[in-house]
Amino acid sequence: MIDLLAFDPQAVLHQAFFGAVAAAGFGVLFNFGPRNLAWCAAVGFAALAVRTLALEAEWSLEAASFAAAATASCIAVACRRPLGAAANSIALAGCIPMVPGAFFSQALLGFLALTAPHADDAQQILLSSLQAFLRVVFTLGAVGAGLAIPSHLFRQPDF
Amino acid sequence: MTDTADPVRMRHRELEKIANAALRLGRSLMESGACVRVVHRGMVLVAEGMGAEVTGLRSGYASLAITVASGGNTITRMTGVGRHGVDQRRDLALRALARSIAESGGSSAQVQRHIDRILKGTARHPAWLVAIATGTACAAFGRLLGIDWPAFAPVLVAGSLGQFLRHRLFVAGINPFVVAAIVAACAGTLCGLSARVAGSDTVATATIASILLLVPGVPATNAQTDIMEGYPTVGSARAVGVVMMMVFASTGIWFADALLGVHR
Repeated sequence: MIDLLAFDPQAVLHQAFFGAVAAAGFGVLFNFGPRNLAWCAAVGFAALAVRTLALEAEWSLEAASFAAAATASCIAVACRRPLGAAANSIALAGCIPMVPGAFFSQALLGFLALTAPHADDAQQILLSSLQAFLRVVFTLGAVGAGLAIPSHLFRQPDF
Repeated sequence: MTDTADPVRMRHRELEKIANAALRLGRSLMESGACVRVVHRGMVLVAEGMGAEVTGLRSGYASLAITVASGGNTITRMTGVGRHGVDQRRDLALRALARSIAESGGSSAQVQRHIDRILKGTARHPAWLVAIATGTACAAFGRLLGIDWPAFAPVLVAGSLGQFLRHRLFVAGINPFVVAAIVAACAGTLCGLSARVAGSDTVATATIASILLLVPGVPATNAQTDIMEGYPTVGSARAVGVVMMMVFASTGIWFADALLGVHR
């Protein structure tokens, strides 16, 4: 049972706000138009809010990312009319802040450290690198599945 | 008998034009970041809108092939695909064109002209705005990962300069993986040093945040989508590309670490 009163609203707002900024920023990089950039920010806000709430409810990162990506995809399905063919891309842009690139870098840097001539605490490095790598695989899978399932269930047209 | 008097050869020439128009639209969609399902659907809409039937499609990471038919005649053509980028406005314009051809048809010359117009005329954000927006996104990403406020500006500046450098290197025609390593080394070093000077306690996380612009998020999700939808060849190739990109980016960070000790 999720206790809504136990959440820290400031933490949720902080994560949601920066999720919106990151989604819109990467939206500019992906050449979204001005109107769709606002939608990217809105979807990023919603996705990160859901993920933070789920993490505060002590869900795993993977489960929280799945719920957040499914929320983004459901928003795209529900707003199909104003968004048009851009709906799926906007849902994807909203989930970009959840792509675990930092864990990927940590895993690879850890593996590089393992091969150093005198690796200190090799077992701990191996464990933490493997954990980071598995987290990347499972979180990416969760985001991909969360995005795909609603759009396939509701048969989103691409054109 | 001359070429022009041979009805079969004439039909083949028309079919070739249709195949080439469909391939060009498919290639442009793929280079704009579309998944294979969208690329195939776009090619079918164009070919059918121009009066041919599509009997076969094949997608690879670096090439597309189509077989179109009309009556008893068929023709197969293939084209190469360039660097897989992400350009959402171009992607939408190409989809709208495919839809319009499916509804109203069009001659080969008209379709090629429309594609030319989209490829040359699609609006893009200015490079300086893209750089600042990307740096801001990296800094916001950093906050999501837990960087402290003194590291915020260094990540923003290093991310912006990293994106600007990446843009310049792409324009110079440098290999994307080499670009990733160079950008990661430069942005990581700059961010690590300036975050340390700013008094940050999260230098290591800030350094990684400054190179998050290199994480190929769209190809990573496209890879999964393609595999899910029955295109494992392209999906697997995209996944390998994502891993390679991260290996090169991490090599850049590792180099910065080894050179200046910014990641400690």
